[in-house]
Amino acid sequence: MHERLSYYVKRDSALHRLNPLTKIILALSIILVSFFSPWYWTAPILLLLVVVPLSFLGRVSKEYFITALRLILPAAGFIFIMQALFQPVGETIIFKFWFLDVTQESLSFAFRIAMRITVMISAFTLFLMTTHPSELMSDLTRRGLPGQFAYVIISSLQILPQMQARAQTIIAAQRSRGLDTESSFLRRAGSLIPLVGPLVFGSLVEVEERAIAIEARGFTSTHVKTSLHEIPDTDVDRIIRWMLILLVILSLALRIWLS
Amino acid sequence: MAIVNLQNVTYRYPLTDSPALQDINLQVKEGEFVAIIGPNGAGKSTLCYTMAGFIPHFFKGELTGIVEVAGNETRNSSLSEWVLNVGLAFQNPFNQISGAKYTVFEELAFGLENIGVPREEMKARVQDGMTLTGISDLGDRSPYSLSGGQQQRVALTSILVMQPKVLVLDEPTSQMDPIGTREVFGVIRTMAERGMTVLLAEHKVEWIARFADRIIALKDGQIILDGAPSDVLTSPVLKESGFGISRYTSVARAAQQMGVWKKEKLPVTLDEAVEGFSQ
Repeated sequence: MHERLSYYVKRDSALHRLNPLTKIILALSIILVSFFSPWYWTAPILLLLVVVPLSFLGRVSKEYFITALRLILPAAGFIFIMQALFQPVGETIIFKFWFLDVTQESLSFAFRIAMRITVMISAFTLFLMTTHPSELMSDLTRRGLPGQFAYVIISSLQILPQMQARAQTIIAAQRSRGLDTESSFLRRAGSLIPLVGPLVFGSLVEVEERAIAIEARGFTSTHVKTSLHEIPDTDVDRIIRWMLILLVILSLALRIWLS
Repeated sequence: MAIVNLQNVTYRYPLTDSPALQDINLQVKEGEFVAIIGPNGAGKSTLCYTMAGFIPHFFKGELTGIVEVAGNETRNSSLSEWVLNVGLAFQNPFNQISGAKYTVFEELAFGLENIGVPREEMKARVQDGMTLTGISDLGDRSPYSLSGGQQQRVALTSILVMQPKVLVLDEPTSQMDPIGTREVFGVIRTMAERGMTVLLAEHKVEWIARFADRIIALKDGQIILDGAPSDVLTSPVLKESGFGISRYTSVARAAQQMGVWKKEKLPVTLDEAVEGFSQ
């Protein structure tokens, strides 16, 4: 259980080998283009012709489709239904639901929004699946992100499962001393209160010790930091990044020009 | 010339009335292995934090006297410079894991990244460190998936690879089984023989008796005994003050009262006990 701490899927692929910054820019430009583009079908086409092929290129297609089914589809479906029901646009009523009119226009609007959301989550999922968190952070630190900031992000990713495990231990300890955790909802909610003290105060004490420990390893050292892993940043990366930025500018320009 | 030099050091934690350390005078030579013993609350950890620079830089409170390592005084130095000279590993291994790394190898390199060690040297130092402390096979594991004893070795190694001049250890074997304890004491001994100065706060007197050059006994924030293990651990003062003593000493003391132990000096290690009883 402790071994899996992020979405990262360890594989060797062209996508994995790209520089983390290139991958962030790739994800962001897919999202931005899908929002900026004046053309109605941009998002579905991006999904089919860019996101899905990228998942194959990154050799994470199976994991991506599982996430798409379990997370992205329900989220997008929810947004589609909400938008279709509550968007007060259009005249062409397709059917009535209680006092709500579902029109052709609201349906098409809802579809557009839902597809954009799908593209957005998909692009980030692929990014997380193909980028190791510590690689991302060392690359961003090298580019000038403050070390403290990177530490906070990456350690919270790791510490959350630890806190969950500790909460389980405290619950087990209190149950063995007769705490009721299995009866009515209110009872159980009440029995969470004695859990909060040990969990919160325990964590605060831990923070002090951890601060000492990382300080003892030169965390605030003013030396220029080095990095254990060499993070690739090739000419190809730089070319891709500039092309993506151009593409975003182009789609924004098209949007302004056409409207 | 002493590498560690404490003169008239008194320290009081914030919001407390009585000092945690009182008038400590301590000089340690380069390459010396000094063990610090004492009951809980005697000031062992406080002394460790003082030598490692966390008092006064991390813990506030009132520090008087001189704390010098390799000719520099703590108060004139920043903590991040200080840790290059003095390494600290402490008791709870879980909280010593940085939380920023996903494998043991990366975890061990964390300190070296921070102080800017070049990549090739970093890898070599981590490899050597893992071999020394016997954790070479853990390199790819997540530091959180390890047992308490393994985590303690990782914590110790993460400081060793930084190659400080002085190593300060606060009960680094508290979660280890006897085999692990023996191995870690062996590692500490090796480091001392290579010229690293070691200060170790520890309860396991039988191991200290075998490995340390010198023992300091602390009680209520004061040094009450300071000398060779064979002198300190057999001192009657120790027994009166409620310290743990070596079982070899206890047995020989009982034997002495019955007239079975003939030598004048009491043993502190198994070898000394065997030798004494076989006379």
